[in-house]
Amino acid sequence: MFTMKKPTRILSTAAACYILGLALPQTAAAVSDDDFNALKSTVEKMSQQMQDFQKTHQSDQQQIQDLQQKLGETQSLATNAVEKADAVALAQANPPRSALHNFTMVGDAEVQYGQAKGQFGTFSLADFAPIFLFRANDNILFEAGFDITLQNGQATGTTAQDNSYTHDSGSSTSVSMSFAQLDYLINDYATSVSGYMLLPLGTYSERGAGWLNKIPDSPLPVDFLPGAGVGTQLRGGVPVGESGQSISYAAYVVNGPSSTDGTANATTFDGDGNTVPNLDLGGNVGIQNSGNNANLNSQPSFGGRLGWFFPLKPHTDVELGVSGQSGHWSGSYLWSALVFDAAIHITPNFEIKGEYINTWQETSDLGSIQPNGWYVQTSYKLAGLDLDAPIVNDLELVERYDYANNALGSTSDRFTTGVIYYITNTLLLEGDYEWYKNRGLNAAGLPVSQFIVQLSYGF
Amino acid sequence: MKTATKRQTVLWSVVALTGVFAVGLGVTLAQAQPPEAKAPPKKLTGAELYAINCNRCHPERYPTEFTASQWKTIMLEMRIRANIPAKQANEILKYLQEDAGGN
Repeated sequence: MFTMKKPTRILSTAAACYILGLALPQTAAAVSDDDFNALKSTVEKMSQQMQDFQKTHQSDQQQIQDLQQKLGETQSLATNAVEKADAVALAQANPPRSALHNFTMVGDAEVQYGQAKGQFGTFSLADFAPIFLFRANDNILFEAGFDITLQNGQATGTTAQDNSYTHDSGSSTSVSMSFAQLDYLINDYATSVSGYMLLPLGTYSERGAGWLNKIPDSPLPVDFLPGAGVGTQLRGGVPVGESGQSISYAAYVVNGPSSTDGTANATTFDGDGNTVPNLDLGGNVGIQNSGNNANLNSQPSFGGRLGWFFPLKPHTDVELGVSGQSGHWSGSYLWSALVFDAAIHITPNFEIKGEYINTWQETSDLGSIQPNGWYVQTSYKLAGLDLDAPIVNDLELVERYDYANNALGSTSDRFTTGVIYYITNTLLLEGDYEWYKNRGLNAAGLPVSQFIVQLSYGF
Repeated sequence: MKTATKRQTVLWSVVALTGVFAVGLGVTLAQAQPPEAKAPPKKLTGAELYAINCNRCHPERYPTEFTASQWKTIMLEMRIRANIPAKQANEILKYLQEDAGGN
């Protein structure tokens, strides 16, 4: 039974396939040209779109590359900007320095026209006084001041008439060191000063530069004091409260004065045979003519100053000071000095100041002598009158009276009156007349009354 | 005779000095403002300290006259020369350097 059904199924399947085979070709053959063209068009559109997509893709790729390139450039610029900013910050933190960044020159220069009583008037280069400052760091300063002056030379020739020739001839330039000191700021209240120092005996030696001193020459009694000395000093200022008030101090040790001729006599003779004081205030600088380092005295001199500065307000103040020095000047003979100084300012226009100086000198022939003197100087700027006159407002009247007694038989007193025209704040035209009165044994050799015009410049 | 001449010179000198002193002081005091009520103390500025300390010895310098570096050197010297207290000197230096001249 089973055998009979199998062929039947086979035949049935074959017949179905046949029928299907006939039917299928008839279905394929049924796609029309329209359908084909539509399909073709669709395919072509799709192909075109594909090409467009490819073009768009290529364009996008190009844009991406461009953007990446720009991004790279931007990053590079940003990096350079950061580097430049870092460089600027570094440069600001460490500014470029020239070799002279901490070297400064200040000072003053003076040109004079003067006419002393009974003599010809003359122009003269009074002084060129540079001060060189070198700041090694915030705590160390080296400063040195010089005075350079021009003067007539002394002829050494002879004349046929009398074998003597004393007329000035030629010129010579003198260069003197005013001071050369090394300053070390120990702290806010103490500074160490060493070298050839300006000495704080009174205030004139430290504040007497040409354009600071309102009169062309120095007060007479300051000649009794050493302006500078070789040694070491401790000094400083201590504030009192918040008003600007301060106490200042200075204590020093220096080689001290010495004797011109090596004796302790009060007087000696100069090269022209004139009697002059034997006290040598400017020598004894530590190195002798022989080249040996030795003090001319057995002991150094000690000195100092104590000052009080009390401002009531800007430009209105009082300053008082007392200073002194003592030590051997020849052998065991003592030389000592005591100075009182005072200054008052009332507004920027009015000033009065002065010093009293007394010295003691032990001598072998005259015992103890006391060269002494004092001066007082007052000035008033006409700007204080509030006049509507520019030239008048630039004028300052100044007067000074000074007196000196050398304790060797001569006294001098002098009255000076003058006017200052401030061409600028540091360029001053000063005109003064000085009335001298000299008395005593050597009065004939002392200066006489004179008229002085000085152009002074502080730089 | 000499003593009389000396007395005369001294007399005239004293008169002249007193005259300038009196005129200057008189004008100055006449222009002075009446005292104001006492205000609490304030910290002085660099400009005020400059006016207080510097003008007592010399005419004031303009900040533009020196560079900042030069002012630093100069103020170091002035602090020592004039015994200006350190903090005051530093305030003055700041004031001067603010408007310091160029290189």
